[in-house]
Amino acid sequence: MDLAAKLAVLADAAKYDASCASSGSNKRHSRDGKGLGSTTGSGICHSYTPDGRCVSLLKILLTNFCIYDCLYCINRKSSDVRRARFTPDEVVQLTLDFYRRNYIEGLFLSSGIIRNPDYTMEQVVKVARTLRVEHSFRGYIHLKTIPEAAPELIAEAGRWADRISINVELPDLQTLAPEKNIWRIRTSMTVIQQKIEQSKAERRESVKAPSFAPGGQSTQMIVGATPTPDRAILAQASTLYGAHRLRRVYYSAFSPIPSASSKLPLIAPPLVREHRLYQADWLMRFYGFDVAEITSEAQPDLPLDVDPKLAGAVRNVASFPVDLNRAPRELLLRVPGLGVRNVDRILGMRRWHRLTLADLTKLRVPLSKALPFIVTADHVPKLVAQLPAAQRQLDLFVPATT
Amino acid sequence: MFDGPMDAPAPALPTAKHRVPRAFVDMARRVACHRDLQRWALLYRILFRLTHGEGHLLNIAVDPDIHLLVRMEKAVRRDVHKMRAFVRFRTVTAEDGEAWYVAWFEPEHYIVEANAPFFTDRFASMRWSILTPDRCAHWDGAVLHFTAGLTRAEAPDADAVEPLWRQYYANIFNPARVKTHAMQKEMPKRYWKNLPEAELIPDLIRQAPGRVETMLARSHAQQTPGDSK
Ligand code: SF4
Repeated sequence: MDLAAKLAVLADAAKYDASCASSGSNKRHSRDGKGLGSTTGSGICHSYTPDGRCVSLLKILLTNFCIYDCLYCINRKSSDVRRARFTPDEVVQLTLDFYRRNYIEGLFLSSGIIRNPDYTMEQVVKVARTLRVEHSFRGYIHLKTIPEAAPELIAEAGRWADRISINVELPDLQTLAPEKNIWRIRTSMTVIQQKIEQSKAERRESVKAPSFAPGGQSTQMIVGATPTPDRAILAQASTLYGAHRLRRVYYSAFSPIPSASSKLPLIAPPLVREHRLYQADWLMRFYGFDVAEITSEAQPDLPLDVDPKLAGAVRNVASFPVDLNRAPRELLLRVPGLGVRNVDRILGMRRWHRLTLADLTKLRVPLSKALPFIVTADHVPKLVAQLPAAQRQLDLFVPATT
Repeated sequence: MFDGPMDAPAPALPTAKHRVPRAFVDMARRVACHRDLQRWALLYRILFRLTHGEGHLLNIAVDPDIHLLVRMEKAVRRDVHKMRAFVRFRTVTAEDGEAWYVAWFEPEHYIVEANAPFFTDRFASMRWSILTPDRCAHWDGAVLHFTAGLTRAEAPDADAVEPLWRQYYANIFNPARVKTHAMQKEMPKRYWKNLPEAELIPDLIRQAPGRVETMLARSHAQQTPGDSK
């Protein structure tokens, strides 16, 4: 098989991983002309594919041969997909060739498991080591690690990589991935986290101390392959952000794969649901929302027709309306349609300027969404009963006995 | 302060000693690269107001001048970012027989000088030129210099690695989740003509539904009757 044919197979096999981020690492450059590449801290998307996803890294598998049989995965051993395998040198060369032409920020390498976890991890680490040591490559490297691999190999992966990930895939992993174990994954994440923190502390003492995955670790969860509700998915994410300090949790709408196992749904990927999960994740990370505020026991799934912030506001209608000219930051952040940037702008100008609806239009606040929840110098909302039908339909809020 | 690339006159600065917020200086530096001619008048007006009793002006995001300043700054910032993203180098052979990387890019604003250090930070070990209609930046391995704008015809029109890049682009795309709006929001059509991968887009979109159907049909056929849910 020639290089182009291998690339087709091994890019195709990698596309179910949603992450392509190249952000959050140390800043590096090669101004001295000795190496190649730089990282600026905030990643760059070099292209976008028609699925709306960013192309930032060369995201490929070293091989899609695999001895495991995870049912949701196109590369599982029982799948009849076409197989290919790169040599480590081929991946190194491709990365350098693409990088020099400014197609990518770096490499995201993962692999099916061949022979055994250690052998596979060694091959993956070899690519990263060759790039860093032989070519002084200073671009971004993201390595997917195998929790079953020896700790020394994971340690070396972190030495060369900017980011490390292990995919959780499913809160109820074992049902579909017989060889995998969520607790082993969580243990690996803990070990990695300790190394990240240790290296950060050492580097504060001395800049010469080796770095360890300075871009942190991330993971991915598949959505819609099993009946797991959003509440369980978000609870899992919340634990991962809290206990394991993960940098990012990615949600990937389960996408039908060729020759799928009969235990899986053969339907279009639930893209709206995936979008709502990202919105909820955002609310948890940047707005201080808690899982219990976004979903409930009775309604464990996020509504699809409205965004989670609006749904939450409708449910907690008693804490509205919020006076934009007086309310504290925490309350402003709960207003549907108001983002962090605009909240800060509003706070910045209130001392000198009383906000009106015209101002909000200028700030591009979606008024139709915000109006029922806010008070401005020239606006007091109508009663809740007069909310647009779409919001009432949610029947999430108990009409206050007015 | 206005070390923008332009030969347009710098605005007259007030003679008395005045302090302006650092944020204004940073923003002005970027807005100075904007193509819109009203930038100088706008910057002057804001500078005047900042130094004449409206020291807090930058906080008033809804003030018409500040609103425009923020919008223009954002446009320049976005253009800078898109240039870093969408420059595509192609190799040509230099006189000494070694590779020289050449790109053609059409920026919206006057950002070539301001953005060149990003490329020297990243590609100092290569020799390269970025050609644009306004200005061209050249790095010979030691020194960065600029020359007058050129036309697209001066840039190379192919590169041996591009077929591999297109192969990658076509295969990393998932036909089961077409979202062309999201793509175009971040990669507007006006950039497509200079992106070697973009010529694949129409075909990828056209073939997507068929590819998904074939895949589902194949999977359904493999699941034994009564087995599927
Ligand atoms: S181990 Fe990874 S590549 Fe192998 S079947 Fe499981 S998910 Fe797929």
